[in-house]
Amino acid sequence: MSFWFTVFRQVGRNIRQTWASQLMTLLTVSLSVLIFAFFYLIYANMLTFGEKLGDDLSLIVYLEEEPGPELQQQLTKKITTFDEVEKIRFISRAEAYQRFARQLGQNQDVLNDMPKDFLPPSIEVVPLKNLRSLNQVKLFSAYLSRLPGTLKVQFGQDWVERFYYFTKLLSIIVLLSGTLLILTTIFMVAYTIRLTILGRQAELELLKLVGATNNYIRTPFLLEGLLQGIIGSSVGIISLYALYEWIKLRFSGPVFLNLFEFSFFSPVVSITIICVSILLCTVGSYSTMQKFLRI
Amino acid sequence: MKINSNNGIETMIELIKVSKEYPPDVVALKDLSLSIASGEMFFVIGMSGAGKTTLLKLLCSMEIPSSGLIEISGKPINQLKGSHLAKLRQKIGVAYQDFKLLNDRTTAENVAISMEVSYKKPQIIRKRVRDLLDQLGLSDKHNTITGELSRGEQQRVTLARAIANSPTMILVDEPTGNLDAITTERVMNLLNKCNKGGATVVIATHDDSIYRHTSHRVMELRKGRPHMMTGGIE
Repeated sequence: MSFWFTVFRQVGRNIRQTWASQLMTLLTVSLSVLIFAFFYLIYANMLTFGEKLGDDLSLIVYLEEEPGPELQQQLTKKITTFDEVEKIRFISRAEAYQRFARQLGQNQDVLNDMPKDFLPPSIEVVPLKNLRSLNQVKLFSAYLSRLPGTLKVQFGQDWVERFYYFTKLLSIIVLLSGTLLILTTIFMVAYTIRLTILGRQAELELLKLVGATNNYIRTPFLLEGLLQGIIGSSVGIISLYALYEWIKLRFSGPVFLNLFEFSFFSPVVSITIICVSILLCTVGSYSTMQKFLRI
Repeated sequence: MKINSNNGIETMIELIKVSKEYPPDVVALKDLSLSIASGEMFFVIGMSGAGKTTLLKLLCSMEIPSSGLIEISGKPINQLKGSHLAKLRQKIGVAYQDFKLLNDRTTAENVAISMEVSYKKPQIIRKRVRDLLDQLGLSDKHNTITGELSRGEQQRVTLARAIANSPTMILVDEPTGNLDAITTERVMNLLNKCNKGGATVVIATHDDSIYRHTSHRVMELRKGRPHMMTGGIE
């Protein structure tokens, strides 16, 4: 009889003997993986969305007066002193008026009674991609507002701030659910294995006496944890995928998901989550064996 | 006191000044020195509490001695650990007084367990289990849960498990305690067969019917000390 045949038979026996607690553990592992992966999926998508948002981010510096060529050069020099930027564009009053009129489209006749220079001149500053964090953008904005002749600096601060805090909150939730995942997988698996060990105390004692090696006794328990990890995490990820597909189907159309591109994990990320869960479950069963299975 | 086995024959069991004490101050064995030759059948007799079971437990390394040296096939068992100890235990078949059966498993599964740990092939295990159960009059109990067997039947299953793996050393604690005369004879026939096959057999018993007319050595223990040795070829 081969080693692995015997080991798998033992695993089957263990599972049959404690199937109720095994099922509970499996559900807990699946649920933990589902909760963690759910928040991580939202977080990952938000990050992608944030990156896109960062790509479109520009700071508008409203000026008191239209700068001449020399002042433009001076301002450009001042701006680039803070940090290199991707693009600096000076917009004159006339240009601003035309742009505004274009934006109004059919309603542009509301501008008929307005003077063509009622809009302030401005500088459109597109920061470099690495200037992404809110604090950096804020610092840059503060620096720009201190430039001589600046009226106001705008970069959709409220919106960016809200988005920033939302992703920060999400990162905390991801951390918490990650901790939950670690705790549940390790402790639940450890607890189940412990139950199995206690339930089979007499048999394990006998196995030792008839000459079973450490590997013969321990490997089934290690495999049990491994199986809990494989099945539990796979069920968790598959459930999340089903949920994702359902949401996509249910809420497809001109709202919600179409606001930004919402995508599922890449196969690499999915496999990484599964592998980490397997590792955690195996650690759980190993720690119990070290504690309760002294051979 | 040291009792030697026949000279010139390989020694299977060697005990030198072995003592076993249980807390607080129970002396189960005291300064026992003994050699048992390979292929010998050896009886340990004595009243309850004389130290028979303790001696068997020490021989199968279920317990460690408080002092002294125990060697099996020249290896000091107190110092063996891990796979070395497991390998040695695979060569020792033990029929415990308290049976140590898995009461939720079938008779066949209980007997097979000692062969499974040595990774014997399933077909060999099946055949051996059937043969042994047949020899012990338990062929109709093959698939019976051992918890449902009588004490006498459980005792025979324990013996079957002890000899299933064809061990080189068989330790039997009170093998006939719950058996009638006919079954006792069956059990002894089986043990004699194993002995003739080359196994060293140590039987702890207080049933004088199984050692009364034996030509093998019989050692009587009293209060953990060897009191008398009879039989054997001098």
